[in-house]
Amino acid sequence: MAFALEFFLRRISQGALIVLAVAFVIFTLLRIAPGDPIRIILGPMATPSAMEETAQRLGLRDPIPVQFVRYLGDIVKGDFGNSFIRGKQGGTTGGSQDAGGSAPVDRAPVIELIAKALPYTLLLAASGFLLACLVSIPLGILAGVRNHGWPQRVALYLSSFFVSLPNVWVGIVLIYLLSARTGWLPAIGYQHIGYVIIPAIVVAVELAPVMIRSISVAVATNVQEPFYEIGQVRGLSARAMLFRHVLRNAAVPLLNSFGAQMIGMLLGGLFVVEYIFSFPGIGLLTINAVFQRDFPVIQTVAIFASTVLVFINIAVDFASTTIDRRLKF
Amino acid sequence: MAIASSPPQTFAAPARGQSVNARILRLAWRSPEMKVASALFLALCLLTLFGPFVIDASATKISVADKFLPPIFMEGGKLPHILGTDQLGRDLLLRSLIGLRNAFLIGVVSVVLMFVLGCAIGIYSGYRGGWTDVVLMRITDIQMSIPVIILAITILGMSRPNPVTIIAVLVLSGWPIYARVARSVTLAERQKEYVRAARIIGASDLRIMVRHIAPSILPPIAFVAVLDVARMMIFEAIFGFIGIGIQPPTPTFGTIIAGGTQYLLNA
Amino acid sequence: MAAQPLLSVENLSIFLGSGDAARKLLSNVAFKVEAKSVLGIIGESGSGKTLLSRALVNWVRPPLQVSSGTVVYQGRNLLALPEAEMACLRGREIAYIGANPTTALDPTVPVGHQIEEKLRAVEPGLSRSEARRRVIELLDAVRIPSALSRFDEYPFQFSGGMMQRAMIVDALISRPKLLVADNITQPLDVTVAAQILRLLRDLQRDFGTAIVFVSSSFGTIVEIADEVVVLDKGTVVEAQDTRRIQNAPVHPYTRELLARVPRLWHDVGGIPAVNSEPVVLSVRDVARTYEVKDRTSLFGKNRVQAVRGVSFEVRRGESLGLIGESGCGKSTLSRLLSSLEPPDRGAIEIDGVDVATLRGEALLSMRRRFQLLLQDPYNSIPSHVSIGETIAEPLRIHGLASGRKLREKVSAVMQEVGLSPDLQDSLPVGLSAGQRQRVNIARAMVLEPSVLILDETLSALDQVEQAKLLDLFDNLQRKHGITYLYISHDLAMVRRACSRIAVMYLGKIVEIGDNETIFNAPAHPYTRTLLSSVSTVEEKPFLPKDYLLEGEPPDPIHIPEGCSFRSRCPFVIDACRSIEPALVIKAGASAAACHLGMDDLPPPRICTVARGVTGLQRLENS
Repeated sequence: MAFALEFFLRRISQGALIVLAVAFVIFTLLRIAPGDPIRIILGPMATPSAMEETAQRLGLRDPIPVQFVRYLGDIVKGDFGNSFIRGKQGGTTGGSQDAGGSAPVDRAPVIELIAKALPYTLLLAASGFLLACLVSIPLGILAGVRNHGWPQRVALYLSSFFVSLPNVWVGIVLIYLLSARTGWLPAIGYQHIGYVIIPAIVVAVELAPVMIRSISVAVATNVQEPFYEIGQVRGLSARAMLFRHVLRNAAVPLLNSFGAQMIGMLLGGLFVVEYIFSFPGIGLLTINAVFQRDFPVIQTVAIFASTVLVFINIAVDFASTTIDRRLKF
Repeated sequence: MAIASSPPQTFAAPARGQSVNARILRLAWRSPEMKVASALFLALCLLTLFGPFVIDASATKISVADKFLPPIFMEGGKLPHILGTDQLGRDLLLRSLIGLRNAFLIGVVSVVLMFVLGCAIGIYSGYRGGWTDVVLMRITDIQMSIPVIILAITILGMSRPNPVTIIAVLVLSGWPIYARVARSVTLAERQKEYVRAARIIGASDLRIMVRHIAPSILPPIAFVAVLDVARMMIFEAIFGFIGIGIQPPTPTFGTIIAGGTQYLLNA
Repeated sequence: MAAQPLLSVENLSIFLGSGDAARKLLSNVAFKVEAKSVLGIIGESGSGKTLLSRALVNWVRPPLQVSSGTVVYQGRNLLALPEAEMACLRGREIAYIGANPTTALDPTVPVGHQIEEKLRAVEPGLSRSEARRRVIELLDAVRIPSALSRFDEYPFQFSGGMMQRAMIVDALISRPKLLVADNITQPLDVTVAAQILRLLRDLQRDFGTAIVFVSSSFGTIVEIADEVVVLDKGTVVEAQDTRRIQNAPVHPYTRELLARVPRLWHDVGGIPAVNSEPVVLSVRDVARTYEVKDRTSLFGKNRVQAVRGVSFEVRRGESLGLIGESGCGKSTLSRLLSSLEPPDRGAIEIDGVDVATLRGEALLSMRRRFQLLLQDPYNSIPSHVSIGETIAEPLRIHGLASGRKLREKVSAVMQEVGLSPDLQDSLPVGLSAGQRQRVNIARAMVLEPSVLILDETLSALDQVEQAKLLDLFDNLQRKHGITYLYISHDLAMVRRACSRIAVMYLGKIVEIGDNETIFNAPAHPYTRTLLSSVSTVEEKPFLPKDYLLEGEPPDPIHIPEGCSFRSRCPFVIDACRSIEPALVIKAGASAAACHLGMDDLPPPRICTVARGVTGLQRLENS
């Protein structure tokens, strides 16, 4: 028990530092990169003095560390700031059109924007991941156990084929085949649950090859461990050894590659897929925010994303050390 | 790795001047997949090196009269547009080849850079251990906690993207994986007796890292790197699609796909 | 029914691969195992004994192929049995234990749970609590301390010996009629192996199980088997009852095997004499403690006391042996001695210079005089560098030679250690273990060191190769006046090679003395326990029944107060519990850390004096 407590104490404090560092990196990057958000907020016709005044009011002319500390102070109070662009009513107000109403109070709080977009992203992530699991777990296990037979080849060829397809291409082709040409499924935007099917397939197509590979490698490695065959000589069935022991051992490297690689892929995939399908999740919100130089939104999403990554990695490592007691952390 | 430690009776006579890696390569060469893959790779390299001399400016030339020509194997297609033309009448085969070349170049260069950077940091971190290791690994943690796409759209979306910035973004987000793998292999290698033997004969740390550890960790990492070239090429395409890749009129896979999308969906 | 043996093997042949490329690994093997008896199968590595033991439980997988023969168990040919029926026998009536207990179980599930799982798989009706009770009962019976809490511990928390006990429980829990034990004592320390052997003998009697005991050690086989089958290159060359095979071996190969078993007391070759040259290496009160994480407390650390104050001296041209079982701190000591890490306290002096304080240039030039040879011939030389380059590397590092001179030096040293200089440009892939070890020796010798530490250098080699290298070391010592420090667990090896011997236990030297005294009149009970546990074919002056208690060395985190050996010592007195004994000169002329005098210990059963025949002559004569 002491072990678990120390683990969480240490990892959460480390994680907090990491999130802080990520926040600072993104915060600084945004402010040193070219592209002035004021120009977008006020539109091309704004006078230099009006722009300067707005910039002053938003605090964008202070030194970056000062801005960052102020930002952190607000976050501690639970205030992630307001969008530069988006109005309270939702939807893109298109900043340049209403130059007059640029007071930050009229803008939507970032936290609300995210709260509105998050469920969509979660839905897409969950269905995509589930779909990928449905395909890759059976196929990966089969390929891992029959290390030299046809399942291994099928898994290898399938995954090499799909791994070399950009998700944007897969997305477009699926839209064309399943939606534009046949009209079977809806594709662009979101009105009901049906809109999640094609995007989820695209997310799954990106994840599945990597998952199949990781699973088959992890299973194959453990099937070659002496305990698998010796277990059968000891009187246990091959089935029991596979499901009770091999999979348990294979879970450790799998969890690791999930934490290190797949979760990043999933996140990146979500962003792109939401963009392709105009799916109203966090990804679309962020990409639009970047093009509009909407700093508060980008910062908050980056903090959220890295917090999620940090927490998933803590969970993954804790699960690994619980499964395999030899592991240190 | 397993090959290196297998018992000697497998090899009757000492193989003269032939390394374990060479033998694996020779074995692999016998498989048909390897031959096809090598041929494709060679073709790509040739395209990258000589493509610019062969493909002329017609790839980006607009010719509205020839717009939306189908490929020649479909009705209505005509030479010289083997794969047809896009909405502005530009030849799609030529555009794809240029896009492929650029993607390949970006993929290879960025992977080579992240490979070198990541391995150097990973080996150093793993070999040194202690505080050096803690600090370097926390930095990789931070880097890995920023999703590639967020980093890319932040940097590329804000600046004017060109091949150099694209490569920079890819390297920046890609090196931590290599550092992690290199470190974990180094940690295992450091325990092995040959490292101890090298220290006993007086080899310096630098010498051990470069001459002894690096060669033995390259094979597993090189494998990751080869797959990563493909991943980076896909990222290049995605960047192009979102509009944060190499800018028009230079063709990229992403812009070609994006260009066709609207018309496809309205068709 | 009485006439029918429990298991009979007829005409068994097994090939590796098929078609023209197939290699015959076993040919026409035949033997019988009677119920409730112990059959020993002896063979060297490569004789096919592991393959044979696996064939007995029908565990032969492609590319291995059974080409002919039967393994008949109670009237049924196991090799032709349908998988379903075989599954009913495996683990129920026929059990198998392999050589490496640490990899036999799933590392992520507690040991007890896995035995319980097996028991419930072979006896489906059993309730969980009943199965658990039976497992704990048997764990207790094989003398696993605090079996109840051990039940929930993981394989990595078990020592090799404990794990092998657990595997014995796993095998015997279903009360099988036949147990195949493949080399089960091979990876264990001598005292632990002796305990396991004794345990197996007791259990065999209680359970009435027939055992096929496979081993490469003659000494082990004769201790347990009723009958012995000798396997050479896949064929049975002799089958005899145990007494006869020892006293009147028929086949030349059996005689050769028997002659090769190292002798510790009878017909011992010329033992290196103690000399009185100046001291080269002086180790004074060296200690090293590591901190490891303690999972049971918050931010807690455990202190592993690996080396706890070791002192000794080695004279020029002398060979000192440092022996001890795993965990005694000898590998830590070897790391300290080779300056790979500094000791916490104490001094390691070479020719009067403390190496622990040296840095940079001074350390580099010291390394020239002070080399270490490692155990693993496969991992200690890089596989992707040519042999010549590996040997030349020290010369390059120290800037001692270059160009043609370098090549000449390398080929000279290769010749000296018995490697053909033609091999210079080859990679080490095709080399045997012995040849690889010669590359190691050449790499060390090229620097012309004055002190050479041999850290288990010979333990990965077979007897013949070992003898050759020992002769090589002898020659080098005579020619260059090199001083050797042998660090080893192999008593027979130090008996043959060292003039003085130090015995380590739990990070300390418990006894140090000249070779003869240590082997014939040791004053420390631990030294006697070690000697009693050696598996050999000769009469021993010390027997396990007098010296060998149950239990394993305490771990170096929880070292007992007082004498560290008291938890395993049969002669404990009150003083041992509180006062830690210091090394003092005893009657037998060795220095031992024990409160008891020589008279308090049982007298040696026999006393022998070495005769003047060298080991090599003995080999040639046989």
